[in-house]
Amino acid sequence: MPYNVIVLVKQIPDIDQMKTDPGTGEPILQNLPLRVENLSKNAIEAAVKLKEKHGGKVSAIIFGTDRSSAAMKESYAMGVDEGFLLTGYDGNHPEVTAKVLAEKIKTIPHDLVILGNQSADSYTGLLAGKISALTGEPLLGNAVRIEMDGKTAKVTSALEEYNLEIKSDTPAIISVAQEINEPRLPPVLQIMAAGRKPINTQPAGPKEKFTSVVISNRAPKSDRKRIVFEDVDKGVSEVSKAIKEAIR
Amino acid sequence: MKALVFSDNQEIVAQILTSIRGKSDADAAVVSPVMESIDQYGAAKLYELTGTPGTDAISQSLSKIFAEGKYDLFLAGSTVRGREVAGMLSEALNLPAMTEISDLVFRDGKIVTKRFFYGGKTLLEEESSARVLTVMPGISEASRSQSRSELVKVELPASKITIVNRIDKMAGSVNIEKAQVIVSVGRGIGSKENIEKVKPLAEAVHGEIAGSRPVCLDYQWLSEDRQVGLSGKKVKPKLYIALGISGQIQHIAGMRTSRVVVAINKDKSAPIFEEADYGIVGDLFQIVPKLVSALKQ
Repeated sequence: MPYNVIVLVKQIPDIDQMKTDPGTGEPILQNLPLRVENLSKNAIEAAVKLKEKHGGKVSAIIFGTDRSSAAMKESYAMGVDEGFLLTGYDGNHPEVTAKVLAEKIKTIPHDLVILGNQSADSYTGLLAGKISALTGEPLLGNAVRIEMDGKTAKVTSALEEYNLEIKSDTPAIISVAQEINEPRLPPVLQIMAAGRKPINTQPAGPKEKFTSVVISNRAPKSDRKRIVFEDVDKGVSEVSKAIKEAIR
Repeated sequence: MKALVFSDNQEIVAQILTSIRGKSDADAAVVSPVMESIDQYGAAKLYELTGTPGTDAISQSLSKIFAEGKYDLFLAGSTVRGREVAGMLSEALNLPAMTEISDLVFRDGKIVTKRFFYGGKTLLEEESSARVLTVMPGISEASRSQSRSELVKVELPASKITIVNRIDKMAGSVNIEKAQVIVSVGRGIGSKENIEKVKPLAEAVHGEIAGSRPVCLDYQWLSEDRQVGLSGKKVKPKLYIALGISGQIQHIAGMRTSRVVVAINKDKSAPIFEEADYGIVGDLFQIVPKLVSALKQ
């Protein structure tokens, strides 16, 4: 049977390109390009694969800003059918994001909601649980495999010590781990077509947000000894002593 | 302060209880069966959750315990399941959350936490009134207290999730998070076959082999359970030997708390040397055999 799948896409600053100020150690965020979070690509890939196998439709929701249309176009190029861009994102507040997304999810008929299990900028990892609580739909978490059988979704959930096969009725929330798939690189024609596709944009209402007082946010200081030998034989002799000491 | 501590990994429960001992009253909740001696880490009450442990059921049960027991803080071990339960509970009770914390101090009714941010590039220290926290494994070295917990059995409500099957990880898999000594290889190792060449070093120091993200994920020269880094395992061995690892910040975030770090890299300017106690600049395939024979002396 065909499935209607909602995929939640997150856009983050490209942290691989982020530098910290050599003097103060503080992050330099100006002019940092935005990119689609890697795990969101895994989520899109999982959703599009389900569509290719069973039929149905993939809808993407991005909670972002006016700068997020590029991320939606990238989602389209990967195979997303329709996109909703909710503007008004104002920093990493998972409780706000969860409420905004859950509200929109409730207005779109769906069998599954698929999202990444964590994002690389903050590693909060709470969104899947929050959305499950807000929608009342069960969470099949950290999936490395998804199988659909009628109105049942079964996933292999990767835990720290072992994997667990779990299942539930749909509608359900599935968070995916990076091992689930290799996100496709869309061909040029699809990228060009994606650029012409309309994006449904609407502002998301301001929500009460939780804030903390930042005491410091700097590159962590390392107090390593940094004794580096360029003479290999001397290095081997000294380092082997240090190793023996360390594992004594 | 009164805290409710939860993790599906009871060793993490013991670590969190140890870290807040003397600073906050604490009860703990674990999924049945209970680990031997888990009642000796300072929880006044120990809730043993019995029945099918779906995260929805665990969250409902703990939300009820939290509200009725008038707790101030919910501390969940940051595991896959721990983060899911923390997300659900924070939304069910509408409590502010702070995640992945590596340090926790109580100050005038507020809490001061530390966590890594921007992919581990910065350390963010904040004061807040967060009430749900996910805590990184290894926040303290677990130690027993004098008192014994009162055991309370709690039957979990029905879950919407059915557990079909448990699949053990592949044979030969390891838990590098517990390793005392790690020999870790990076892209500089060159090939899967070359890993054999550094195994004598791992044997000489009784260490486990681990690797960086490219080695474990991109090239799959090692299995994923051996990946050290922000998106892999966070390790804290007595000795971490980095071979041919450049030292990207995402890698450092996974091994930063190692006690002694040794790095071997042919690039003198590799950032790993900034994060090392001892380093040797040169060809690792030349240096490793020399090191092995020096260690055997």
